[in-house]
Amino acid sequence: MPLTHTRWITAVLASLMIFPIFIGLIGTLLPAFQFLPPIGEYQFSLTPWVNLFSNQEFYSSLKLTLVTGIVAPLISLWFALSLVVWGHDKRFFRTIESLLSPILAVPHAAIAIGLLFLLSPSGWLVRLFSPWLTGFERPPNWITVQDPYGLSLVFALAIKEMPYLLFVILAALKGLKVKESLQVGQSLGYGRFTLWRKVLIPQIYPLIRLPIFIVVAFSLTVVDLALVIGPNTPSTLAVTLYRWFNNPDLSLRLMASAGAIFLMLVIALVLVGWETIHRVFSRITRAERGNGKRRGLTDGLLHLGAYLSIVTLASAFVALLVLPIWALAKRWRFPDALPSKWTWDNIERAKPLLFELTSNTLSIALLSTIIACAVSLVMLETKRISYQKSPSTSNNHVFDWLIYIPILLPQIGFLFGLHVLLIYLDLNGNFYTIVALHIMYVLPYVYLTLKGPYLAYNEDYLLEANRLKYHPWRHYLVVKLAMLRPALLTAFAMGFSVSVAQYLPTLIAGEGRYSTLTTEAVARAASGDRKQVGSMALLQALFPVLVFWLAQYIPSRWTKWRLTLICFFSKDKQCSE
Amino acid sequence: MKKTFAAASIATALLCTSLNSQAAWQDTLSEASGQTVYFNAWGGSDNINNYIMWAADRIKAEYNVTLKHVKLTDTADAVNRVLAEKAANKNDNGSVDLIWINGENFRSMKNNQLLHGPFSQGLPNFSQYVDENARQSLSQDFGTPVEGMESPWGMAQVVFMHDTETLESPPKSIANLLTYAKANPGRITYPEPPQFLGSTFLKQALYELTNNKEALSQPVDTVDFNKVTAPLWGYLDDLHSVAWRNGQRFPSGSEEMIRLLDDQEIDIAFSFDVSSATVQINEGNLPESVRTYVFDGGTIGNTHFLAIPYNSGVKAGAEVVANFFLSPEAQVEKQKPAVWGDLSVLSYDKLTAKDKAKFEALPKGIATLSIEELGKSLPEPHSSWVDALEKEWRSRYAK
Repeated sequence: MPLTHTRWITAVLASLMIFPIFIGLIGTLLPAFQFLPPIGEYQFSLTPWVNLFSNQEFYSSLKLTLVTGIVAPLISLWFALSLVVWGHDKRFFRTIESLLSPILAVPHAAIAIGLLFLLSPSGWLVRLFSPWLTGFERPPNWITVQDPYGLSLVFALAIKEMPYLLFVILAALKGLKVKESLQVGQSLGYGRFTLWRKVLIPQIYPLIRLPIFIVVAFSLTVVDLALVIGPNTPSTLAVTLYRWFNNPDLSLRLMASAGAIFLMLVIALVLVGWETIHRVFSRITRAERGNGKRRGLTDGLLHLGAYLSIVTLASAFVALLVLPIWALAKRWRFPDALPSKWTWDNIERAKPLLFELTSNTLSIALLSTIIACAVSLVMLETKRISYQKSPSTSNNHVFDWLIYIPILLPQIGFLFGLHVLLIYLDLNGNFYTIVALHIMYVLPYVYLTLKGPYLAYNEDYLLEANRLKYHPWRHYLVVKLAMLRPALLTAFAMGFSVSVAQYLPTLIAGEGRYSTLTTEAVARAASGDRKQVGSMALLQALFPVLVFWLAQYIPSRWTKWRLTLICFFSKDKQCSE
Repeated sequence: MKKTFAAASIATALLCTSLNSQAAWQDTLSEASGQTVYFNAWGGSDNINNYIMWAADRIKAEYNVTLKHVKLTDTADAVNRVLAEKAANKNDNGSVDLIWINGENFRSMKNNQLLHGPFSQGLPNFSQYVDENARQSLSQDFGTPVEGMESPWGMAQVVFMHDTETLESPPKSIANLLTYAKANPGRITYPEPPQFLGSTFLKQALYELTNNKEALSQPVDTVDFNKVTAPLWGYLDDLHSVAWRNGQRFPSGSEEMIRLLDDQEIDIAFSFDVSSATVQINEGNLPESVRTYVFDGGTIGNTHFLAIPYNSGVKAGAEVVANFFLSPEAQVEKQKPAVWGDLSVLSYDKLTAKDKAKFEALPKGIATLSIEELGKSLPEPHSSWVDALEKEWRSRYAK
C-alpha cells in the first residue's frame, strides 16, 4: 500500500478501538467493588466478591462452564483436523467446503433451536421412527437435550465451531506446501495420517492459534446457545451472570459484575493453560515425532474423528432443514413426521416490517464490513512493512492482540459500562454508533481471515508493475487487491455475517430504536415459537448465505465477465478469437 | 336538609376539582401533540404486537402522538437502559418513554426512583372507569403499593391448560397435582423460578400447603421462613422425582410449556394469560381439544401496568398513551379473543350502558373461561416473599 505513516494510522485506529473497551471494563470493574451510584452505592467494598464466593450456584455454574468450555473446543478442533486430514484431497471435499457457509451464516440461536427440535424426546428423530418402530404414541420421558451434564450443549457448540475451525484450517493450508510434504513423506513410506500429525498439524497450529482462542473464549461465554440447549439447574456461568444482570433486584448487579470480572480471569487462565499444555505436549512428543516410525496410534483417532465430524455436519444440516419446514407449518404434532397442515401465514406476518428491517440490516452490515476491510488492509500493511524490515521479529504486533479483546471478553459484562459511556458522550441511539460497535466485532474476524493470504502475497508482482510504470495506488488496487480478490471477498462475507448476527451491540447502541432482522428474530424467538423462529431465521440467514455464496462464485468467473464486458464495448478483433 | 347541603357541596367540590383537572388534562393534550413516544414492551407475541400497532394508529389520529413499539425480549432490558442513563446522569430525554411492567421490575424501578409519577390518578379515564378497590392487584402490584406510579393496563390470572383427549379430568389442587404426577411420571412440570410464572407457582403451592397462611401477609423476615415453607420443599422434593425430565430441567416459561403440551411431552401447561389457549389453538400451536381450568381453591391473579421512566422527555405524550389504553374502546379491543383476549381493568359498574353492551357482545374463545368460571383470585403474599422463595429454590435445586 503506497500509504505513508501506516504505523501512525494503525496506532490511532488501535487506540480508537481500545478506548471504548477500556471504559467498558471500568464500567464493570467499579460495580464489582460495590460502586454503582444510580442505585445509591458509593462505598467501595469487597462485598460483591464475598457474596459471589458464598453463592452455591456460582460454583456449580463455574464447574459446568469449565467442562463445556474446554471440551467443546477440543472436540471441535479434533473433528476439524480429522476431516481435513481424511478428506482434503478427495473430490467431494470441495462440496463440503461450500456447504460450510450456511452453517457459518446461520445465527447460533437458530441452529440451537433446530437441534433442540431434532434431538428432543418429542423431536424429529423420534417422530420419524414413531409409532411404527418405537411404539411411542407419546414422547418418552428421556433426557436427551438440555441434559444436566451439558453434553448436548457441547455438541451444539461443536456444530457451530467445527465449521469455523475447518474454514480457518483450509485458509491456513493455502500458505503451506501440503501436497509436496505429503509426496515427500509418502515416498519415504510414511502413512498419510501419520504424516499429517508429525509434519503438517504442527505447522498448522501456530497459524490457527488465535481462531482456537476465539473458539475457547466463545465456548466459555456463550449465552444464547446455552439458554436454548444448555442445562438450567444450574446453567453455565455466562447464563447465570446474564440472569443476575437482568434480575429486577438491581443490587444483584454488583455480584454479577464481580462474576463477569471473574469470568474474564477464567478465560485468561484457560487460554494460558491451553497454550502451556500445548507447549509441554509438543515438547514431550517431539522425540516421538522424530522417531521415524511410519505409523502411529493417533491414526485411528483421526479416522474416528473424521467419521464423527461427518455425523456432526450432517446433524447440523438436518437441524437447518427443520427451520424452513417449521416456517411453513400450521400444525405439526407428535408423532407426525411432517406437518399435517401447511401455511404461508408465518412468513406473511413478517412482511409489514420487512423493508425497514432489511434496509437497516444491510446498511449497517455493508458499512461496518467495508470499513473493517479497509482498516484491516491498513493494519496488515503495517505488519507487512515491519516484517520486511526485520523478518526476525516476526512475533505478533501488539495490535494483533488488542483487536481480539472485544470477542474474547464476555459481552454482557462490558457492554453495560460501554452503554454508560455512550450516553455520556451523547452518542447513544445513533446509526453510526451501531456501525462503530459492529466494527469492533467484525474487525477481528475480517482481519484474521485476511491476514494469512495478505502476508503470503508475493510482493514482486506489485514491484514489477510499478517498475514498468509508476502508479502505486492504481497498481495496489488492480494488481495486488485484484489478486487477493478471493481472500478479500471471503473476509467480507465473514464480516458481513458477523455483523448481521449481532444482537446485544445493536440493541445497546441503537437503544432498540433501530431494528434489524436479528433484533426482530431474537425478540420473536422470546416466545420460543418454532414457526416464528423458523421464518425469522430464514430471513436472517438469507443475506449472509447469499454473500458467502457470491464470495465463492464471483472470483472464479470475474475475469471472464470482465473480458466479456470489455469486448462488448470495444470492437477489438482479438475478442472474437 | 343538612344531607342535601352536604351532598351539594361535595358535588360542587367534585365539579371544581374535575374542572381543574380537565384544564390540566387539556394542557397535557396540547403538550403531547406532535410528540413521539417510545413504548418498550415485550415483543414475543404477534397478536399483542398487532394490537399495539392498532393503538398507535388510533392515537396518531386522535391525539397526534406517534407511538413506536420497541420490542423487548425481556423487560429487564429497558430497566437496564434507564439505569445506565441514570448512571450517566442523563436525567432527561431518556430513551424509554413508556414501559410495560409489573411485579419485580416495578418494585425495583420504584424503589430506585427510576419512575415518573404519581400520574395514574390524574388520567381522566382512570378516575372515570377504574375502581382501585375492585381487586387487590390494582393497588398492590405483587405486594408493592402502586401509589399512582403506574397505570393499569390489563388483568391476568393463573390458568391451567390440558388436552381433553389425553387428560379428561385434570387435578384441581396442588395436592392432587402430585398424586397425578406420581401416577403419570414425567408429565408434570412448572417454569423455572425466578421466571415470574414459576415463582407464582411456588406461591400458589405454598398458599395451599402451609399451615400458617397468616404468615404470608407479613414481611418474610418477621416470620420463621423455614418453618412456614417446610411443607413446600417437601412437596417439591416429591414432585421433582416424578416430574418431567426427572426435575433436572424446567421449562423457561409459559410459551415453552404450551409447546411441550402440544408435543405431548407434558399434560398440563400454565399461563397468566386467560385467553392463551384460545389464541394458541387459532394459531395452530395447540390442538382444538385443549381446554382451560383453574384450581378449586382459586388461583393467583395479577394486573399488568404501564409506567413512565423518570427521565422520559415526552411525559405528556406517554400519559396520553396510557390514558388511551384505559379507554373503553382500547380495553374492548384488547379483550377480543382474536386480538389478545386480555381482561379489562375497567370497573364494569362505572361503564356507560353503551360500553357495557360492547363488553357483553364480545365473543368468547372456545377455550377461554368466563369471569365467573375464573372464580376468586388468591391474594398475593407480601412482596418480600418472592425473593426469599426464589433464592431458596435456586439454592436447593439449581446447584
